[in-house]
Amino acid sequence: MMKKSSDASVFRANFFVVWTEVAKNMKFLMAYPVIFVFWTIFPFFWFLTFIFQGQAIVGGLQSSSFAEIAGTPDYIPFIILGAILNGYVLTSLYGVGESIRREAYQGTLDYLLSSPCNKAFILIGKAVSESISSTIYAVIQLVVCIVFFGIELTLGVIMPIILILILMILGLYGIALMLAAFSLQFKQAHDLAHTLEYVFYLFSPVRYPVQALPFWAQIVGKFLPLTYALIAVRSLVLLRQNFLAIYEQIFLLFVIDAVALFLGFYLFNWMEKRTKKSGSISQY
Amino acid sequence: MNKIEENRGLEQVSCPVGLSLANLKAELRAIWECNIKEWKIELAYPINFTRQCIEPLIFLLPILVYGLVLLGGSRFSESLLRLVGTGDIVTYTFTGYIIMGFIGTAVWAMGFSIRKEQWYGTLESIYVTPTSRLSLVLGMALHSVVHQSLGTLFEVGVIYAVFGLALRIEGILPALAIFALMMFALGGFGIFISSLALIFKEGWIISEGFHSVLMILSPVAYPLTVLPTIAQQASTVFPTAPALVGMRSFLIENYTPEILGNVFLHLLVLDAAWIVFGILIFYLTDSYVRKSGTLGKY
Repeated sequence: MMKKSSDASVFRANFFVVWTEVAKNMKFLMAYPVIFVFWTIFPFFWFLTFIFQGQAIVGGLQSSSFAEIAGTPDYIPFIILGAILNGYVLTSLYGVGESIRREAYQGTLDYLLSSPCNKAFILIGKAVSESISSTIYAVIQLVVCIVFFGIELTLGVIMPIILILILMILGLYGIALMLAAFSLQFKQAHDLAHTLEYVFYLFSPVRYPVQALPFWAQIVGKFLPLTYALIAVRSLVLLRQNFLAIYEQIFLLFVIDAVALFLGFYLFNWMEKRTKKSGSISQY
Repeated sequence: MNKIEENRGLEQVSCPVGLSLANLKAELRAIWECNIKEWKIELAYPINFTRQCIEPLIFLLPILVYGLVLLGGSRFSESLLRLVGTGDIVTYTFTGYIIMGFIGTAVWAMGFSIRKEQWYGTLESIYVTPTSRLSLVLGMALHSVVHQSLGTLFEVGVIYAVFGLALRIEGILPALAIFALMMFALGGFGIFISSLALIFKEGWIISEGFHSVLMILSPVAYPLTVLPTIAQQASTVFPTAPALVGMRSFLIENYTPEILGNVFLHLLVLDAAWIVFGILIFYLTDSYVRKSGTLGKY
């Protein structure tokens, strides 16, 4: 009986940590409305250049050569879906991965790490708040793209897309946890985040299908959750395939999530102990 | 009071001021020292330095791969040929993209120079020195231009080795002259951005915003003619569009410029306009933030 009550209070305490972290980050977001406007509007500018490039090179809105490897001649919806999902990569790497470093800049890292709670739940709170804000941006972008770029989204694919997004976010936050762990020890989180962003930028099919890459680069792409999420979402939305056609991608996303989350939590706890012992937590 | 100072061994230093050769030399020295300081900070983080040197190549590759995928692996585009007289997308995109890094120099390195000092905790110390704040911005710009040039050289080497480039060697000198003219105007633009970063505390949004807009309005991977008319007109206000068109005219065989008129004259006018405008806004905002006491606020 005592054990049950203790478990419940631990659960409540951890939930409170997550909830407080979410509320804190949402307050930050609301305090800087310009950041909200930026993340909603500027991703359009980033993919518009690819649309104009496509029009200049192909001379139209469809490319038969593109269809041979992407399965669809419409390169604009392909690019747009890639850009929207890639937004989650940016917010996970820079939002969660760098969050520990940001606490150090704000002078609050020592207090956070000396608080009597499991620090992983602080990171979970940061990840949840980043997921909420990223999803708000993604939904706004998607609505604009449905209206202006003719992307067709049926009700039947919405639930599978939500499942894919959740799986992708879990995998990305596993990677972000590893990044946060390394930033505790090596401090230069921004450089690590940039380097990881390059890996996603080059090897995942954000702007082109993975088949366009050399074989070794395709192998690298297979370790990224974004690769499977993009293949699955595009199969549902652009190629009009059913859920059964993407079971392989879903299964591989599960596997990547399990490995990334396990490694992320393990590394973070290990690095936290290590930096506490060495006394290098608040060093720059 | 004088007696006390004499006792402490204080030495009175007279700083050169106004329009004099001594002051110019002092400001040039300040620019050089700022540049050296930036290099020392940068080289203290070798991984960061290496990453930034390969960055131009990393950002160029997806643009090239995307273009090649649209054409089924071929680098020749009939549509581009009709628009600008050349169908080689690799050479076209590459000559456009080498400019992009220098736009980043203007909006990030210069735009963020003052704000960066605030992060380091050295802004107040710098502000009380008898040096022009512009020298600080220009010192950071000098470092960033040299740094960007290193990255561009690496990019040229890799792209030339992997894809090969069909460039006219005799066009390199006039293209460099156009590039130099563009850099003066971008310098004025960067000073303007740095003054905005003084007022707006989330300065990275200003830099990223202008960077994104310039990316669209510059004919990096596509000719200006694919843009809506209003965007084509807006692009003539910024130095990158005429500079890119001018450079390509000298570098690429059979290239048909999409902007009519004398590119050199166009850039000279933009140089004067952006430098005067940038310095004017910088002094106005500098004086405003000091008067309002908001300089050190985040």
